[in-house]
Amino acid sequence: MTSFNVIRWIVWKDFVTELRSRETISSMVFFALIVILIFSFSFSMDQQAAREVIAGIMWVAFAFTGIIGLGKSFSTELQNDCLEALQMVPEAKGAIYLGKVAANFAFMFVVEILLFPMFVILFNLEVVEEISLLLLIFFLATVGLSAIGTLFSALTVQIRAREVMLPILLLPLVVPVMIAAVEATKGALNGDPLAMYEQWLKLLAVYDVVFTVVSFWMFEFVMDS
Amino acid sequence: MTIHRVIRKVQRFQGWFGGGAALCLGAGLYLGLIGSPPDYYQGEVVRIMYIHVPLAHTSLLGYTVLALGSLWYLWKRDPIVDNMCQAVAALSAVFTALALGTGMIWGKPTWDTWWTWDARLTSFTVLLLILIGYIMLRTFVDDHEKEARYGAILAIIGFVDLPIIHFSVEWWRTLHQPQSISMRGVSISSGLLAPLLCMSIGMSLLFSYMVMVRTQLLYLDRLLHAKKGRLLSQFHLSKSDS
Repeated sequence: MTSFNVIRWIVWKDFVTELRSRETISSMVFFALIVILIFSFSFSMDQQAAREVIAGIMWVAFAFTGIIGLGKSFSTELQNDCLEALQMVPEAKGAIYLGKVAANFAFMFVVEILLFPMFVILFNLEVVEEISLLLLIFFLATVGLSAIGTLFSALTVQIRAREVMLPILLLPLVVPVMIAAVEATKGALNGDPLAMYEQWLKLLAVYDVVFTVVSFWMFEFVMDS
Repeated sequence: MTIHRVIRKVQRFQGWFGGGAALCLGAGLYLGLIGSPPDYYQGEVVRIMYIHVPLAHTSLLGYTVLALGSLWYLWKRDPIVDNMCQAVAALSAVFTALALGTGMIWGKPTWDTWWTWDARLTSFTVLLLILIGYIMLRTFVDDHEKEARYGAILAIIGFVDLPIIHFSVEWWRTLHQPQSISMRGVSISSGLLAPLLCMSIGMSLLFSYMVMVRTQLLYLDRLLHAKKGRLLSQFHLSKSDS
């Protein structure tokens, strides 16, 4: 089995598990809906005010739901000692990492695509022209979140209080992703010219590359036992 | 045993670090509080700089040492290096918190606010959060080897992230609005520079001295636990024999 096959089988396994149980995506979507609801209670918004804060609300909701998905990604492997089985894969451990990143990215991205229309409807946004740009922002930011989140999901799964420790460790480290995603989304929703927030997209791209590489390398040390 | 030779060598040198720290800090405090003129704009308030800036420098230095030590640990798996990392992380967290605290005290009279989401303040806060996360992570792992390994991974990731966090926060603040409140330029007169330099060197020496002492303490603590475990198991064995 080559490393590429390891990646493919892990993605396939996670997809099949998800299709059968429908646990991760449904819990993520409903949690995000509740977050949106709480936010709309917390700020009483007219349309002008909504434009200012909507990008922030959106990314807080995406990050929180992402953490739910990321936490589940490895905690489901604890059942029936699946984690030990993964550690016994003879190929490089990085292949497991890439497979998990791909699966986590897919779940988070699907949830974001499902949730975005809710934001559009609930907060009366007009987004027809910027839709492809927004998709690009979602893509870049989600790659960053899942690249570093998958590493910390694997790291926290074997310690005490893992549900608490994952967000505590992860959120400070993804500060650049959050800032860049919020600023770029805000720019796109306002219909600003691309040149005004292009640098945030570049920052996201740099972050994605750096942390995919570093996490890929560090994952060897997480799994080694 | 090599590890004991290392510790003996450290013990021989640590006195120099402690003494040097006392000397530099004493001289720096004298120069800073009595020997130097008050600042033209800020008056006597400027004297907190001689504590604040060295604390900030030293905590950054500490984080660099933590990241390098973590790399070394992942490579060689030296337990004593891990003890050093643990000591450095705790002390860096204390120094970072003190730097933020003194900064707030300084900010109140000069900027007329305790806190502002300035780029440097924000990235130092994130640094403190990462260090606290590091310390918490270590307390939540049961196994010594795993605790050291996970800590090292977090320290390295955080170290890579730090410049990116700094840049993103800087862009974030400067894009929104021109910084209404910021520190005056780095240009500093020589009368203020001498005590600052003294205090910076003294603070780094103090930090190194504390790291050396604490590393030995952590090492001995773990040795004691291992011995206690062995003794207890022997005791139980002899009891079950009789």
